[in-house]
Amino acid sequence: MNIFMHELQASRKSTMIWSLSLAAIVVFYMALYPSFARDAAEFTKILEGYPETIRNALGINLGGFFTILGFYCFPLAFISLCGAIQAMNLGTSIVSKEVREKTADFLLTKPVTRTTILTAKLLAALTSLVITNIVYLAAASIMVFQVKTEDFSFQLFILLSLTLLFIQLIFLALGVIISVIVPKIKSVLTVSLATVFGFYFLGMLSGGTSGEEAKRYLSPFKYFETGYILKHASFEAPFLMTGAIIIILAIAASYLVYAKKDIHAV
Amino acid sequence: MNVIEINNLTKTYGKARGITDISFHVEEGEIFGFIGPNGAGKSTTIRTLLSLIYPTSGSATIFGKDCIQFAPEIKKEIGYLPSEVFYYDNMKVKDLLKYSASFYKKDCSKRIKELVEIMDLDLNKKIDDLSLGNKKKVGIVQGLLHEPKLIILDEPTSGLDPLMQQKFFELLEEENKKGATILFSSHILSEVQRLCNRVAIIKEGRIVTVEKISTLQENNYKKFKIETAAPLDQKYFQISGVNNVEVNNNVTSFIFKGNINDVMKKIAATEIANLWIEEPDLEEIFMHYYEKEV
Repeated sequence: MNIFMHELQASRKSTMIWSLSLAAIVVFYMALYPSFARDAAEFTKILEGYPETIRNALGINLGGFFTILGFYCFPLAFISLCGAIQAMNLGTSIVSKEVREKTADFLLTKPVTRTTILTAKLLAALTSLVITNIVYLAAASIMVFQVKTEDFSFQLFILLSLTLLFIQLIFLALGVIISVIVPKIKSVLTVSLATVFGFYFLGMLSGGTSGEEAKRYLSPFKYFETGYILKHASFEAPFLMTGAIIIILAIAASYLVYAKKDIHAV
Repeated sequence: MNVIEINNLTKTYGKARGITDISFHVEEGEIFGFIGPNGAGKSTTIRTLLSLIYPTSGSATIFGKDCIQFAPEIKKEIGYLPSEVFYYDNMKVKDLLKYSASFYKKDCSKRIKELVEIMDLDLNKKIDDLSLGNKKKVGIVQGLLHEPKLIILDEPTSGLDPLMQQKFFELLEEENKKGATILFSSHILSEVQRLCNRVAIIKEGRIVTVEKISTLQENNYKKFKIETAAPLDQKYFQISGVNNVEVNNNVTSFIFKGNINDVMKKIAATEIANLWIEEPDLEEIFMHYYEKEV
């Protein structure tokens, strides 16, 4: 419990900044909705001029773009990207922080098992993400109710918003396994930005060539297609499963590696 | 009872040197010195005891329990001070000590207060703003606040001024009197000489010898310095037990271990102007251990 509280304390500033930033982004984007909705017909024409690849990459699907939920998918793609960076940062620094700041000796000579340490740190990271999502969801909900021009399904809105949390969990798990395996990470941001953008571009490319479902498995950003969610009011089960399997495997492997790892002197 | 027992401990890192076949034990209530030059394997041994790293082969027990298998349980009674201390920079000293104490299921606040007073530490400063010496003091308080039964120190005096060093040694002696066993690793011999009862000398990952400080110092070795009328041949004192012969014009000096009569006869057979026979300090014995295999 003490490690958990300590970790939470340590990441409180960054959690606050990320929460407020994500909330600010969604507030800003949704504030644009009323004027978008007014000029719907003209915008459709402009957007039809864009290649489909780019439209998909940006999370725009023409059919429902001018309903409030369709419009909401647009900032959501960007917010998921930011959220992934936050989660990846948290995950990557989870163990590497102790090595980089040379505090591993302090923590690991205390009467606790490494499993306890990793569990406490994971729970703290998870708590940070949940807090971020709650703040974000609150801001987004208030905003959509403010700008809506017609009624919409709130359940569907929550479902869409949950993709942020799911993507974050996947990247948290990826970050943790990297953190445990790589002996010394000099800069967390470099690693996390490279990984997140790597997957993001991979997702853009695989999304472009239509019809190839298999390629979507390559990027977690493609696991939760907003178009599908809007149409079916549910997630795509195979991708949800894949995400869960990635998380479980990465976390389990992290525990195994961390328990056996040599902690070298500074 | 042996507080620490190390049996054939080996740790190899790829091709880099680790430790090979280390065995020794530390008895309850003693201050045990662990000396050797940098890179000899002192820290590797200590880090294995603390299960920060895992041995390639061999084992060690602390309080009679395997140091890997029962690590969390054993660590309740261990206080550790590394050679370089690093703590969470943006924490206050006070908060760090509280955090440290929170790992032990007892009230440490009284002991913290005492230690902070002895070490003359400012509790309200941020760790980041502390000098090296002051960080070290935090380390000392942090390592002793739970009144451990075993104190493991890895080159603990670097960064402490002589006055603080003195206070720190007094503190350790006090803890020892109260029953704590101390494992003290160092490459500075005078501090080992001052504090320790027994000492293990480690070289290139192997234990060279384990002896009582007093045995090392008094019984075995004499330092001879002889002034003669004319320079002696370098080979004149080539009898068993003579080491480190140095001839400097008319002055010949060496370290001797063995039957003193042999060397006295040799000296009597030559014309001498002056003679000094001294107890060598640990440093000279130590150098002797290191040089004889070169």
